[in-house]
Amino acid sequence: MRRGGSARPAAASRASGGPSWPLQLTRNLLLWLPPVALVWLLVTPYYNLFLTHAAENLVRLTERPDVTRLQTHDRHHLVITRTGARVPGLPYSVRTTDVHFHLVLLGALFLAVPSVPWRQRLANLGWALLATVFFHLLDLLFWVKFVYATQLGAWSAARYGAFGQNFWGLGKHLLDLPVKLALPLALWGVAYLGELRRR
Amino acid sequence: MPRTAPQSDTPQGWRRYRQEIRFLVVFLLVLTGTFTLLSLNSVNDHVIEPFTASIARASGVSLDLLGQDITRTGTVLRSPRFAVNIRNGCNGVEAMVIFLAAILAFPAAWAARLIGLVLGVLVIQLVNLLRVVALFLTGAYLPSWFDSSHTVVWQTVVILAAVLLWLFWANRFATPRVRAEAG
Repeated sequence: MRRGGSARPAAASRASGGPSWPLQLTRNLLLWLPPVALVWLLVTPYYNLFLTHAAENLVRLTERPDVTRLQTHDRHHLVITRTGARVPGLPYSVRTTDVHFHLVLLGALFLAVPSVPWRQRLANLGWALLATVFFHLLDLLFWVKFVYATQLGAWSAARYGAFGQNFWGLGKHLLDLPVKLALPLALWGVAYLGELRRR
Repeated sequence: MPRTAPQSDTPQGWRRYRQEIRFLVVFLLVLTGTFTLLSLNSVNDHVIEPFTASIARASGVSLDLLGQDITRTGTVLRSPRFAVNIRNGCNGVEAMVIFLAAILAFPAAWAARLIGLVLGVLVIQLVNLLRVVALFLTGAYLPSWFDSSHTVVWQTVVILAAVLLWLFWANRFATPRVRAEAG
């Protein structure tokens, strides 16, 4: 990710009497939110399909034999099942769309930065999206392990000890709530911290 | 004769990104550390639950003012049309912790951080109160919209509020010291 570079000096912006940099950013952000949300809505069914298949492959890297199956249930959900013996509590449904709704905020934040050349804005957005896709896969891996470790009653208790249950439970909680919600701000901060400090 | 490399004060390699790396590391450490602390049963029972109950109380009063016939039990709000249980993720704590982490990760004076935290907590809780009231009304009158509003729309709005607050704080309160240091 490249750091933000000014297309024009901050002093010139202030001297021009226009709105301040944060105000320009806020205005741009609010203007970018609707089109980004629309694109996200249109892409969501296909992205959910990709995430479901990619997460299944990732989960299977962590198990022998490969028994986990992730299948799309509808446009917004996947279901976790296992081949072989029936496990009480499965299939278990996860709302895939909730894993990546922060993409709307991320996209709008990265596109809204004023006084930064478009080429650089798009490059930074590309890096941020790439990092976020890896985060989504990790989040889904923790979701599946969380279900196995804590949500299947006696089956979970027989296979996961206290440490395993706490590890997957806390990991899923941290990834799926605070880290997910904070990721757009964290990535934006990394890309544009210098820009923000100069203004 | 070997050429000597030109001397420069500009940091090379990863050192060029030292401030960004520091921001990210402090941000993630404060974020995950605080949430791990809050997820302990004793902290949840003695701090988060009473705090969430106070939010439920404020939301119940606001909904009463809007003509809803609300009864409250702990963190549960109930009317003849709809009932909702305010839980972790709906009490604004996540946005406050993200805001806290961003403020601590950004280089600033402690006084500026304190101002930011006080103002930020107030504004975030106001936005969250609006969220709970709006969600209750959505559940009561537009139930098919409740799920999407709950997870996608209002989560984004509350986090957006925290992001904008942080940007304004960084620009208005935090950067004078940075500029002075740079000068």
